[in-house]
Amino acid sequence: MQRFHNNDNNDTARSRRLRPLGVAALWVVVFLIPPVLSSHADPAEPENQLLSVRVIPEEVDLWGAGAAQRIVVLGQFADGMRRDVSDQAEITVSNPECVRLGESRRIIALTDGEVVLTATVAGRSASAQVRVQGSRQQRPFSFQRDIGSIFTKNGCNTTDCHGGVKGKGGFKLSLNAVLPKDDYHWIIEGGTFQVLTDEVEGERVPRISLEEPEKSLLLQKPTFEVAHGGGERFKVGSDDYRTILDWIRAGAPYGEESGDSVKIEGLELFPREAVLGLDGKYQLLVTAVLSNGRREDATDQALYTSNNKDVAKVSQGGMVEAVKTGETAVMVRAAGHAASATFGVIADPIADYPEIPRHNFIDEHVFAKLEKFNIVPSEPCGDEQFLRRACLDVAGMLPPPERVRQFFADPDPNKRAKLIEVLLGSPEYVEYWTFRFADIYRVAYYSVFSAKGTHAYWQWLRENIQSNKPYDQIAREKLACQGPRGATGHYHIDRPPEDMMSEEVRVLLGRRFDCAQCHNHPYEAWSQNQFWGLTAFFGRLTEIGQYSKGIIVDLPGGHRDRGMGGPILHPRNNQEVQPTFLDGRILPDEKRRDPRMELADWMVSHPYFAEATVNRMWGYFFGRGIVDPVDDFRSTNPPTHPELLAELAADFVEHGYDLKHLIRRIVSSRTYQLSGVPNETNRDDQINYSHALARRLDAEVLLDAISEVTGVPEVFNHESGGGIAPPGTRAVNLIETDTYPSRFLDIHGRPDRLNVPERDGKANILQAMHMLVGSTFHDKLGGEGGRLDRLIKSEAPDAEIIEELCLAALTRQPTADERSALLAMLAAQPDRPQALEDVLWGLISSREFTYNH
Amino acid sequence: MPKHSCAKCDGGDITRRGFMQVGSLGLLGLGLGQYLQVSEALANSGVVVGKPKANACILLWLEGGPSQMDTWDPKPKNSGFKPIATNVDGIQISEILPGTAKHMDKLSLIRSMHTEESNHPQGTFYAMTGHRPNVAMKFPSIGSIICNETAPRNELPQHVLVPTPWEADFFDYRDAFGGGFLGKHDAMVMPDPSKEDFSVPDLVLPKSVTSDVIQHRQSFMNVVDQHFRRKEKLAEFGMMDDLNQKALSMLMSPEVKKAFDLSEEDEKTKDAYGRNRVGQSVLLARRLVERGCRFVTAAGYSHGQWDTHGDNDQRLRDELAPTLDRTLPTLLQDLDQRGLLETTVVLVMGEFGRTPDINPGHGRDHYPECWSLAIGGGGISGGQVIGASDERGAHVTERMTSMGDVFATIYKAFGIDFTKTYMTPIGRPIYLANALGDVQGQPITELI
Repeated sequence: MQRFHNNDNNDTARSRRLRPLGVAALWVVVFLIPPVLSSHADPAEPENQLLSVRVIPEEVDLWGAGAAQRIVVLGQFADGMRRDVSDQAEITVSNPECVRLGESRRIIALTDGEVVLTATVAGRSASAQVRVQGSRQQRPFSFQRDIGSIFTKNGCNTTDCHGGVKGKGGFKLSLNAVLPKDDYHWIIEGGTFQVLTDEVEGERVPRISLEEPEKSLLLQKPTFEVAHGGGERFKVGSDDYRTILDWIRAGAPYGEESGDSVKIEGLELFPREAVLGLDGKYQLLVTAVLSNGRREDATDQALYTSNNKDVAKVSQGGMVEAVKTGETAVMVRAAGHAASATFGVIADPIADYPEIPRHNFIDEHVFAKLEKFNIVPSEPCGDEQFLRRACLDVAGMLPPPERVRQFFADPDPNKRAKLIEVLLGSPEYVEYWTFRFADIYRVAYYSVFSAKGTHAYWQWLRENIQSNKPYDQIAREKLACQGPRGATGHYHIDRPPEDMMSEEVRVLLGRRFDCAQCHNHPYEAWSQNQFWGLTAFFGRLTEIGQYSKGIIVDLPGGHRDRGMGGPILHPRNNQEVQPTFLDGRILPDEKRRDPRMELADWMVSHPYFAEATVNRMWGYFFGRGIVDPVDDFRSTNPPTHPELLAELAADFVEHGYDLKHLIRRIVSSRTYQLSGVPNETNRDDQINYSHALARRLDAEVLLDAISEVTGVPEVFNHESGGGIAPPGTRAVNLIETDTYPSRFLDIHGRPDRLNVPERDGKANILQAMHMLVGSTFHDKLGGEGGRLDRLIKSEAPDAEIIEELCLAALTRQPTADERSALLAMLAAQPDRPQALEDVLWGLISSREFTYNH
Repeated sequence: MPKHSCAKCDGGDITRRGFMQVGSLGLLGLGLGQYLQVSEALANSGVVVGKPKANACILLWLEGGPSQMDTWDPKPKNSGFKPIATNVDGIQISEILPGTAKHMDKLSLIRSMHTEESNHPQGTFYAMTGHRPNVAMKFPSIGSIICNETAPRNELPQHVLVPTPWEADFFDYRDAFGGGFLGKHDAMVMPDPSKEDFSVPDLVLPKSVTSDVIQHRQSFMNVVDQHFRRKEKLAEFGMMDDLNQKALSMLMSPEVKKAFDLSEEDEKTKDAYGRNRVGQSVLLARRLVERGCRFVTAAGYSHGQWDTHGDNDQRLRDELAPTLDRTLPTLLQDLDQRGLLETTVVLVMGEFGRTPDINPGHGRDHYPECWSLAIGGGGISGGQVIGASDERGAHVTERMTSMGDVFATIYKAFGIDFTKTYMTPIGRPIYLANALGDVQGQPITELI
């Protein structure tokens, strides 16, 4: 097994072939540099001088024989940019006995010791400490690390090839070699994988041949010696080829059991975020963090993909190159893990970037990134925009005209902060956030078939919002509750336990687990075993009595006769699954009396919980999450502002999961209070919060706003003759919203709450038709006792009516132009009431009204 | 043996590499059978040769699931009804459908349907999408896929469901007729056209609103909206303008109004279709496809009407067969006379079949294992029987057919590349015609 004990197969192979050069290289420790510097670093351009350089990483620990680390040299320039100047750097080491320099600026361990590495570019230098240990110890062979990484970096085990759910061409590999034992099995035993069962399809023909190693399919396919749908992945004789061939010649061992050895716990990237000029490039460094605390360079074992190749492309070795201005994530996959780095590509840096005041830490993060990305945020919004925006976002309603006038007239410089407090303390706050959480907690008649049960659930939620109960407690009660209807209002005996589980994971942890129900998740390291392990926590859940008398309890036998509860069986092998946390811990027997409580405790204290919650809340105020969609956290869908997300979550936890505190933080930030009017630098920005983006009002809020402005409340008729909802009930206050049919709400995307709601807020043709001739608009305009009717009866002049309607609908005075145009148009109409109705229609059909901005 | 189709190796794009892959399957140690299946797939290319005939489809939905042995697949030993001859030699159907028997040349029967869901909501979803419902993904229905793959014929809504028979439940039946992850082409739902006060919501101007008023309103809105739109610009705003324009032209169009106006049909025609929900829904469906809709589901039977768990024979004889046997022949004849049968696919089915065993309540229960449907028109030939079941109608004995095969047949009739896949938002490729075991469905070559 000697051959596989090397940390640096590629390099060994290469030095074998290039022995004379390799020997020479030992003595040539000075890496010669191309003398021409790029235009940016041209000393002839004084405004763009290189100020300093840095070596990344600044400390290198090399452990084991042949251990290697790539280094990058970064230059700080006078224009504020950092550039990768590695290929212009002259690199020396203080002790060439200890390490040598390999290709692509790799330092390779020779003997134990400490070394100072120095990089010099155009007269500026920086150094790094290198320590070599255990240089005589060969690393044991591991199938996952030594063979699996070849599949990963050549793209063999990606989702659209053999790493897909079904594999490809009958050959299945796990995504990123996350399940090395399975990979080993399919290679050694052969056979065709089937998705829904453990049974193997077809004849079992091994994919390697110990008798004739070169004839192994595992070598002939990727080298295209035989036809291969994926084409040629590497060449005969290449390093990867040799590694696999040597492995087969050695009897194709599995090597070290992953359980006994050092595991890779995660990947770290450098940089996580960087800005490139239009001709810029940047070498990514990937470090594997091991379970024994050591770190290992994995830059050469990783697969790189750019999410937006139009913005920046990335080479096989991790070199990122700018293409055009914009922002993209670069995904990095290695050794069963995935991570991502964000790259911005900018045109000329702004010379005199303005100083932007910060209100709180939100602004620190958002504005720091904007500055880095060469984007200047818009001006703060005016009072009228702030008033409208805050009222809609915090309390779900428009401010009435008198309130608007009051706010404009208030000279207090702290009036915005005062308004926030008023809104947070208002009954509308309670109604609005009860509605928001009723959506994601699914308060619906048809989820329990009981009006009483639905009311009890809604009441429980409302009281919690009203008392501002710490959110972790609300979530814990919702998940763990037993007993009569109340917090249990979303559990129903006919709902499969796996649906309950994946709903909780999605709502509380922001992760979409559903794919793993039938197969290992195609993009994430989430396995089917984990899915069913979590589902097993719901195995005891049962319901005694029915409908309004239904009592949810956990009993040892569950409720088998109703097809629910009892032991949860794994669908692939029909074996009983034990309640197992995501990290693989099995719930001990003595704790199984109340498994959902155990699960709830674990869930709300998991870091996922706080970050998923603040992200969801953030989404309500900005129209998109820091991770977007808000409940789709995964390594391939990175946050736009990771540090902001982390600090928001930490702040939320620190303040006792206080929702009001979180809302206050968000709406107090300057970021939230920016104007929607873009400037030259931020016009195209959609994801960095450089200006407010207009958001359509959600169905219920829009309907309530129309009722408010027209002064004609909506009447909601119960679907099966249960009478009308109490007069004046606003749409956000409908308790069993799914039993009140409403054309307006349905075509504007009201969710039915039968599954985790996904609101479809998109514009559609039905809305356009309803706006033109639908009853919601038509019947309310001149409705008796409504706003317009009252104004006409009070004999108010046209100008006054226009002003009042504008204040009510748009939270602002009409402009002089609007005033004169509307007055002239009104004067030209013979039928005044009809014409005024038409004005009101124009107001509530306008974009300015139907959007929060 | 399940087929292992490969998304990249679709017949529509036969390249050298496609053939290479076929070769590679053999070398991977897979059997000759699979090799032949793939070859067949290549021969049965999705590329349509010649001019497609179909431009519209009417689905007559038998809500609740009809009993196959008492309708299209008569089993004298296991049915209370006798078989009768039809106008096609050698094809017999149940005696309770004598009217339909006279038009057997226009319809073919598939007696070997096999599907996977035995509950109504899931079965309906499966029948309309070819997929079992899945919390991770909403699949598009056949109607929305056809609308997605073809250009709108005119300003009429292209995908219509008339009316909706379903009451609220755990499951939203509308999902079965939606565009799913396509995010568009949901069926527009019509009210019951047999009602006196039938009118389409938001399609007709209220009496007090003249086209003048509409124009005034637009001009007022333009005044108040300018202020905001000069400052803030969203791509969405332009899209909304387009939608408004479309809505406006739809409202103002006499053609659209006419299409939905059943009063234009003469009394004799209304009688012929049947003065009930079923008859009038099918009549409206014909009017709509005649005037430009693509896919109309006529779902006039009420929720679970064909769900004969009790008194199967009596309900079939007295209630279900009479309406079907009045409306269906009328539709076929009417389409034929208007020259529309050439271009209109007619599909008659429910969500599954019914058990070969009779339960203690003299009823039959849900049965997806083996059932029948009728299909014809739009270039799909009539007068044929596809597949067969055993003598009790319990199991498929010949040519098992799945929804994906039926869909592929219909797509082919429309000239839609049935080998196509859609990439879902979460990156899972989905066949337009998804057959059993998540493989690509194949057109029924005997029919098209």
